[in-house]
Amino acid sequence: METTIWSAIVTSTGQESFGGFPRESYIAYALWGAFFGRIGSNWMYEYRMIEEIETGSVNGVLVRPISFFEYYLSQFMGYKLLTTFISFLVPIFITLTVANGPTIHARLPLACAVLILYLFLVHTISFSVATLSFFLTRVHGFTVAKNIGLTILTGELFPLDLVPEPYRTWLLWLPFSNSVFVPVGYLTGRLGIEDVARGVLSIFMGLAFFGMIAAVAWRAGCRRYSGTGA
Amino acid sequence: MKKYLRVFAALFKACAIAQFEFRLNFIVKLAADLIWYMTQLSIFEVLFHHTRSISGWTLESTRVFMGILFLVDALWMMLFSENLDRMSDKIRRGDLDLLLVKPINSQFMMSLKVMDPAYIVNISLITGWLIWALTQLPEPVVWSRLLLLLITIPCGLIITYSIRFLFSASALIFTRAENINYVWYNFYRLATRPDTIYPAWLRYTVLTFLPLGFVASVPARLILETPDLVLLAAAVFAASLSLYISHRFWNFGLRFYSSASS
Repeated sequence: METTIWSAIVTSTGQESFGGFPRESYIAYALWGAFFGRIGSNWMYEYRMIEEIETGSVNGVLVRPISFFEYYLSQFMGYKLLTTFISFLVPIFITLTVANGPTIHARLPLACAVLILYLFLVHTISFSVATLSFFLTRVHGFTVAKNIGLTILTGELFPLDLVPEPYRTWLLWLPFSNSVFVPVGYLTGRLGIEDVARGVLSIFMGLAFFGMIAAVAWRAGCRRYSGTGA
Repeated sequence: MKKYLRVFAALFKACAIAQFEFRLNFIVKLAADLIWYMTQLSIFEVLFHHTRSISGWTLESTRVFMGILFLVDALWMMLFSENLDRMSDKIRRGDLDLLLVKPINSQFMMSLKVMDPAYIVNISLITGWLIWALTQLPEPVVWSRLLLLLITIPCGLIITYSIRFLFSASALIFTRAENINYVWYNFYRLATRPDTIYPAWLRYTVLTFLPLGFVASVPARLILETPDLVLLAAAVFAASLSLYISHRFWNFGLRFYSSASS
């Protein structure tokens, strides 16, 4: 559906290229972007963490010899690695057969590595949102707001190089572009290795920032929380 | 008819009381919606940074299109969304039993039992946006044409409801139909872009078999261009037909429903 819409948009402008890239580049971007975007988002496990805290069933995890963060990180990463492997077979097949466009398949391992590294950040942010359940009655709205906002910051809706300056530079320095724009841009030839290096650096900076928030919020939440025999 | 209006008013009032109990949740939801509106608008703001026109649509006319889309969407979210999103669950758990024994149309109750009156705030904001977008058009607006929205927006809403209802009601046959909802979301994306940008076959589809073009594209075109009465009649016809089909499908699907207690 995404590829159809982008193909229609680029064709309907009546120009040979759009934003400096041909139609095929957008089709490849939309195709890969849909898969990278899906994998780089977290709805299910964030909802589960929120529910665990809301209902008090977090007690069951607190007494285990593993932290709540690690417990859900292992589940989240296991699920995402499996879905990445399986779901990527579809765009690989399409780009090798039907839409033999600008995809550089040799770049796929590095693009996947960036995405996997980014997943650690995704989980850390989800964990931070979930800790709000210690303080508020209903926090599902935060998940919705965050994930909708991220669709634009990741480049899932459109390639971030279409955004005018200075917003483009700001968006590229934020770690969220490593979900879709950086790996897909690298995979489809829009970006080079130096952009990937900058992306990895921004992920580590994001991890440090959100990791700190998560740790502080968790400690404050645990102090406030009182488990009741659930 | 009076009975249904009374029931609707009572349900709406009860939902309003429940909704405003959680004020922070209301604010967060409003923020989430505003973010969604901004993301959708940003797509076109960015695209029109690189071109003056997309299939005859300019940035100014697209803003009007988006305003109408948001208006239909807000009405949809206020009235039906919660009910149809959870319909599959309700059917699987046997919650439908209680509705079927009530002396009221089961489709009506299934579709309108839980509403979200907080969306009145969204509707006010979007109306403001739409008026602003209309004043930004290079050509002066023929304000009397806006009366057409009183027909086309309800038509767009009915079409959205009916198609979505068909997807949700398939749970009567398949029992678990959560994944079919994802199919709906993907189809709905077709309504979020002006129909004229699509290739001929797809445009034909969104104006006939899957009439999502009537959700926002046709209402926008009717007020931006010289009104086409055929298109207006087609919108009314598509809405009536899709509502009729949804009703028939519901009755057909109920034959497959095995209650929780059986």
